Amino acid sequence: MEPITNATVYIVDDDASVREALAWLLRSRRLPSESFDSAEAFDAMLQKRPPQRQPCCLLLDVRMPGMSGLALFDVLAARGDLSTMPVIFLTGHADVPTAVDTVKRGAFDFCEKPFSDNALVDRIEQALAQSAERLAQVRERSDLQVRLSELTERERDVMDLVVAGLPNKLIADQLDISVRTVEVHRSRVFDKMQVKSAVELANLLRTGH
Amino acid sequence: MTAVPVKRTLLQRWRGAWRRWSLWTALVLLVVSMLATMVWLAGRYEASQVQTRLERDTADAVSDIRTALTHNVQSLQALPSDNPSQLAWEVDASELLRNRRELVRIELRDANLRMRTHVQSPYRPVAWDMRLRDSGQSDLTIACANARRLGGPAYSSSYFQPHGDGLGSEMMELCVPLSASGRTIGYLVATYALQDILANLVGHNLTRSQEASFTEADGTRLAVLGAARRGSRMFSAQHLLDLPGGTLVLRMDSWHSAPSLFPNVLTALVTAMSIALVTVMVVLVRDNRRRLRAERDLADALAFRKAMEDSLVTGLRARDLEGRITYVNPAFCEMVGFSPQELLGLSMSAPYWPPERVEEYQQRQAIRFAGTMPPREGFESEFMRKDGTRFPVLIIEAPLINAQGQHTGWMSAFLDISEQRRVEELSRASQERLQATARLATVGEMASLLSHELNQPLAAISSYANGSINLLEHATPVTASAPESDALEDVRMAMRQIARQAERAGRVIKSVHDFVRRRDQAREAVHAQQLLDAILPLVSLQARKLGVRVNTSVEQGLAPALCDRTMVEQVLLNLARNAMQAMDDPSVRTRVLDIRVRRAASNPHNGWIEFAVTDVGTGIPPEVAERLFTPFFTTRPEGMGLGLSMCRTVIEQHGGFLGFAPNEPRGTVFTFTLPVNNGTTP
Repeated sequence: MEPITNATVYIVDDDASVREALAWLLRSRRLPSESFDSAEAFDAMLQKRPPQRQPCCLLLDVRMPGMSGLALFDVLAARGDLSTMPVIFLTGHADVPTAVDTVKRGAFDFCEKPFSDNALVDRIEQALAQSAERLAQVRERSDLQVRLSELTERERDVMDLVVAGLPNKLIADQLDISVRTVEVHRSRVFDKMQVKSAVELANLLRTGH
Repeated sequence: MTAVPVKRTLLQRWRGAWRRWSLWTALVLLVVSMLATMVWLAGRYEASQVQTRLERDTADAVSDIRTALTHNVQSLQALPSDNPSQLAWEVDASELLRNRRELVRIELRDANLRMRTHVQSPYRPVAWDMRLRDSGQSDLTIACANARRLGGPAYSSSYFQPHGDGLGSEMMELCVPLSASGRTIGYLVATYALQDILANLVGHNLTRSQEASFTEADGTRLAVLGAARRGSRMFSAQHLLDLPGGTLVLRMDSWHSAPSLFPNVLTALVTAMSIALVTVMVVLVRDNRRRLRAERDLADALAFRKAMEDSLVTGLRARDLEGRITYVNPAFCEMVGFSPQELLGLSMSAPYWPPERVEEYQQRQAIRFAGTMPPREGFESEFMRKDGTRFPVLIIEAPLINAQGQHTGWMSAFLDISEQRRVEELSRASQERLQATARLATVGEMASLLSHELNQPLAAISSYANGSINLLEHATPVTASAPESDALEDVRMAMRQIARQAERAGRVIKSVHDFVRRRDQAREAVHAQQLLDAILPLVSLQARKLGVRVNTSVEQGLAPALCDRTMVEQVLLNLARNAMQAMDDPSVRTRVLDIRVRRAASNPHNGWIEFAVTDVGTGIPPEVAERLFTPFFTTRPEGMGLGLSMCRTVIEQHGGFLGFAPNEPRGTVFTFTLPVNNGTTP
């Protein structure tokens, strides 16, 4: 698997040695990480510095003093931060039923301590990949929105009819303009939407919406 | 020492007897004196009757005499005295004398009292001494002088006239002046014998027991008729007979037999008895009424006692000094299953004694009858019902003392304590169960803590080892020499071993943990009230010791919780004990432990029940609050510091939340939540 660049792994665990060990392990796989000693600290960071458009994932200890991992998970889920930030729960002891329940509610996975081999790191990479994918989707969708917003009113009308599969002649008739003008609009739409053909445009719009 | 009480009792007895008998003596004396008074009064009344009758008779006699004398005066005046022929006068006078026996002699005298003629009564021959008679001092002369002065008949006083035969009698002269044309021409002198006056004028009215006599004023008898008996019962009456020129006293004596005692006593008796009868009747009626009232009261008291006896759950049995059963109450019969008829009168071996213990009980009974007092608080024993089942009883025995203070037997009360025993057994079992689970929970919590505490470093070890392996792979230089390469290979192998051993340690811990936590899956639907009921006996035991009042309240219509029952019981018990210990401080006056269960914030998918355990104790200082859930942290010298940590583990395993907050105005409230059993989860 290709190493994902620009990715960040957030580690939230009250035990410093575990935090350090995990960071060290991730660094051995060239994965940058940031550690937090409590759920509150992580939440504060998130409020101050919202995650940039880069892949990330969260390693969350279930039991901590103060706000527990589960509570933080609920807060993040309610805020919608989890769409691009998969969560892997770390369970120190048999909270397995709880962990399974969280997976049902949308956590990426849970791992029991101690972790075996590189299984955890592999899961982290998978989570980061998912995050990157989600981010790409989000970015793509927002690109499409930008491109669509650049179209003029007339260009939009033309585009809708092109996507519907009408030939230029009929479009000209329908919009009561000359075929020549239709062709100019059409080439501008293709330029702005960064596509080369009508089929490509239709695909882009179908996936985007 | 002993003589004094004897003397005293003798004195008391005398006093008592006197008090008892004095009233009766007084009553008898009163009755006797009343009877005597009545008899005496009756006698007196009778005597006065006799006296009155006698007085009346005397008055009648005097009146008779006076009438007869007046009659005689008229007869004398009617004699033909003016006729010169004296013969006619003499004939008439003789005739008169014959008819009138009281008259003894009639003389006709001239104005100078010279005798002209006379006639003599044929019945009483008297030798008259004429010389004496005609003397100027004779009674005759005095009477005629009186007659001349009065101008009418006059009597002389009586005098004694000898008869010549040695006897004599009292006589009295009557002188009637004869007048013609206002001039006294002569006198008629008639002589009365007093004895004959009595005989002829009074005699026919005289009864046998009466005696009539003329007496002088000084009581000298002049003439007597009849002969009354002498004796004590003499009645006497006197009446004056006034005659012109003289006065006589008529006296009547009468003898009356002693008023007969017997009829009087009879009357008195009848009267007294009537009075007594009426009195007795009144007393009887009153007594009867009192008796009825007493009977009613007694019946009421008896009914009350009977109801009390019948309603008792305590069995009662009385035995006499020989050990025979003399009384059993219904509760006792019900207890042993025998009817009273089967039990009464039995002595040595009762049918409700278990056969194998008869000997022991008989010994006990023998000791009792030897006079040993049983323990006041009773003793426990075992009885057998009619169907053969055994049951434990508590027996309380006391001596039966009758009204005279004599010891007549033994009274025993029986309490069937099998139910009490069962409850004790149950409570002990439940306590043992809770203690066992408490131990198990502690072990579980230890395992949980150990696994957590060991897993953290193991995780670190594993991470470092795996990271090292990763680095070694990247760092393997192609140009490295063989020994270097071999060394690196050894290090890599060692790292892999480290990671493997860490993993193995983790597996061991997990297996221990899983073994202890095997019962995690035992989730069932339990009502909150059932959880409270399970721990309340133990909680109230401690609450009583610490003087804590325990309040519980469960919201109405609460759905059952889905939980591991025994573990949640441990949590509740731990929290309740902590709360009570928080109040075990002299500064806490009113100690109230409050356990509330209510519905917590829920959504359609997940329902939650909230338990709140509130105390009003000293509260939790901030530095303690920080470390409250830290394992092995405790504020108590004998504590292990696992209680709250375990509670949190248990609640989190249920998916719930355990937290605490200060209670207003003082104390702490611990709350935890449990999921509602909505039927979908197993």
